[in-house]
Amino acid sequence: MKKILTVLTLALVVASCNKKENTNAITDGPLTETTVIKTDRIISLNGAITETLAALNEAENIVGKDVTSTFPENLMATDLGHVRSITAESILALQPSVVIGTSKDINPNLNDQLKKANISLIMIDQEYSVEGTKNLITSIATKLKKDNYQPLLDNISTKIATVKPFDKKPKILFIYARGAGNLMVAGTGTPLHSMIELAGAENAAAALTDFKPLTPEALLTTNPDVILMFEKGLQSIGGIDGLLKIEGISTTNAGKNKKVVTMDGQFLSGFGPRLGDAVVELHNKIK
Amino acid sequence: MKKKIAVYKVSFFIILLVALVTALYLGAYDFNHSVFEIVRTYFKTQTHTADSFVLIELRIPRILMAILTGAALSICGTSLQGLFKNPLASPDLIGITSGAVLFAALTIVFGSSVMHLLPPFLRYILLSIMAFIGALLTMWFVYKMATSNGKTHILILLLSGVAITALTGAVTGFLTYISTEEELRNITFWSLGSLAGSNWWKVCLVFIVVALGSIRLLTKGKILNALMLGEKEAAHLGFDIEKTKREIIIIASLMVGCVVAFNGTIGFVGLVVPYILRFVFNSNYNILLPLSMILGAVVLLIADTISRTIVIPAELPIGILTAIMGAPVFISILINYKRKLK
Repeated sequence: MKKILTVLTLALVVASCNKKENTNAITDGPLTETTVIKTDRIISLNGAITETLAALNEAENIVGKDVTSTFPENLMATDLGHVRSITAESILALQPSVVIGTSKDINPNLNDQLKKANISLIMIDQEYSVEGTKNLITSIATKLKKDNYQPLLDNISTKIATVKPFDKKPKILFIYARGAGNLMVAGTGTPLHSMIELAGAENAAAALTDFKPLTPEALLTTNPDVILMFEKGLQSIGGIDGLLKIEGISTTNAGKNKKVVTMDGQFLSGFGPRLGDAVVELHNKIK
Repeated sequence: MKKKIAVYKVSFFIILLVALVTALYLGAYDFNHSVFEIVRTYFKTQTHTADSFVLIELRIPRILMAILTGAALSICGTSLQGLFKNPLASPDLIGITSGAVLFAALTIVFGSSVMHLLPPFLRYILLSIMAFIGALLTMWFVYKMATSNGKTHILILLLSGVAITALTGAVTGFLTYISTEEELRNITFWSLGSLAGSNWWKVCLVFIVVALGSIRLLTKGKILNALMLGEKEAAHLGFDIEKTKREIIIIASLMVGCVVAFNGTIGFVGLVVPYILRFVFNSNYNILLPLSMILGAVVLLIADTISRTIVIPAELPIGILTAIMGAPVFISILINYKRKLK
């Protein structure tokens, strides 16, 4: 009995310690928001965020970026590589005034270390939808005290409004490729799924969630009308000819009609300020 | 011989010191002031500048972690090799590391609701206790599998290790499949190994475990030497063999589990370091145990410094480097074996 009591009290102590931490975090939130964030040295750890910053005329203040920040191409920032292998030291070496990233990309360790280093850290929950993209733009702009963001939001809405629904929704299968041995299809919950739906089409792999390996059988049952790929992905398997050699592809409608659509990876799946243009381009390409 | 050992000890220490100082100064971040000055200003002002933060909160804990981890893995490797009377019995090859990884991964995936409630230090303790249990269970299993009539069959020992590693890989793979994104990232880390997450809490905990464990293991030199004659012979010499075995197994599991819980799988260190030392000193465990600690610290510190600096601003997983260093040694062990078979 004594033991149980000790355990219980211990648990109570632990829980109460933790509560304190929580309340601290809550009071910290509004405080940091009211303090002015200097934007002279920005590190962006996500392609969509980099694009947003550039669209808000902050391009020349970006001193560091991650590997997905491929647009705009003429950015003078140091490339820090893949967001999951970035370390606190290389971020601090750039002496950033603010680091912006998405909460799902940045690993908890790095997050803790940056917080401890007193670096202003803006974490954004990126959602792969029109609303999510608008929220991303709005929250970056408001955090950085920029008010020229409304045209960006309007641009997305007007472009997407021009997309006319298809008479018969084409079935599109997105294939992610890094060489012929490594092929994945995009199910629900991926940015590609949202893009396909925004363009007015149907995701052939909607029965799957996330990225799943491509199998010949699944290809036959889903039988897509169009195959969608990243430009680099198609290159990596040797272009359309290479794609047709993959088992199962040539028997699908897309394979028979050689209907393969490619787009730049970041443009297609970034969900940044160019979302409207990307949806229109995808829609026109699959027509 | 004594003189020779002293020379080696001193020279290893000097190398460790040089590596330590170099590691302090090397990294993605360049200091504006000397290390000494940064520390002094920090203690005077008690507030962090960018310089002092990188040095005191990132680089020093990491260097200490590398030293402790290297020392722990090496002395565990040496003790296990003595216990099993075989140079191939290192923690990673016989599957203890995988066992620790599996339990750590299970804790992260299924314990996430509890883990979030705990303050950091308790969270770390829970994680290392689970990894310890995983290490201990696999160790016990592998040992029971491989031993009959007081004799350890090295083939069964290694194959059990292979089986455990495969099973762990499968379960960890399954966990990655069902887990949500944040947890998944934590699991991929286990297979690559990294010291990047080191902080003072973790260093303190690992230090306590490694220090206590090593102090116990360092006294086992005589028994391990006697064990080379065979278990019965050692028992006739008046050593309590069963007790020693239990003790070494538990201590090694605890140390490996604790280290793996924070740094993931760092392979080959426990294999290579004792092997190199055995070349020079034959198999005198009185010498091998302390020297393997120092050399292990040196090797891992150098490997970690390279992993931090070779691809600045990114970082190479340390497991890659230790494997590159370790695999050739492993192959040379096999070649030696082959010669002996002829």
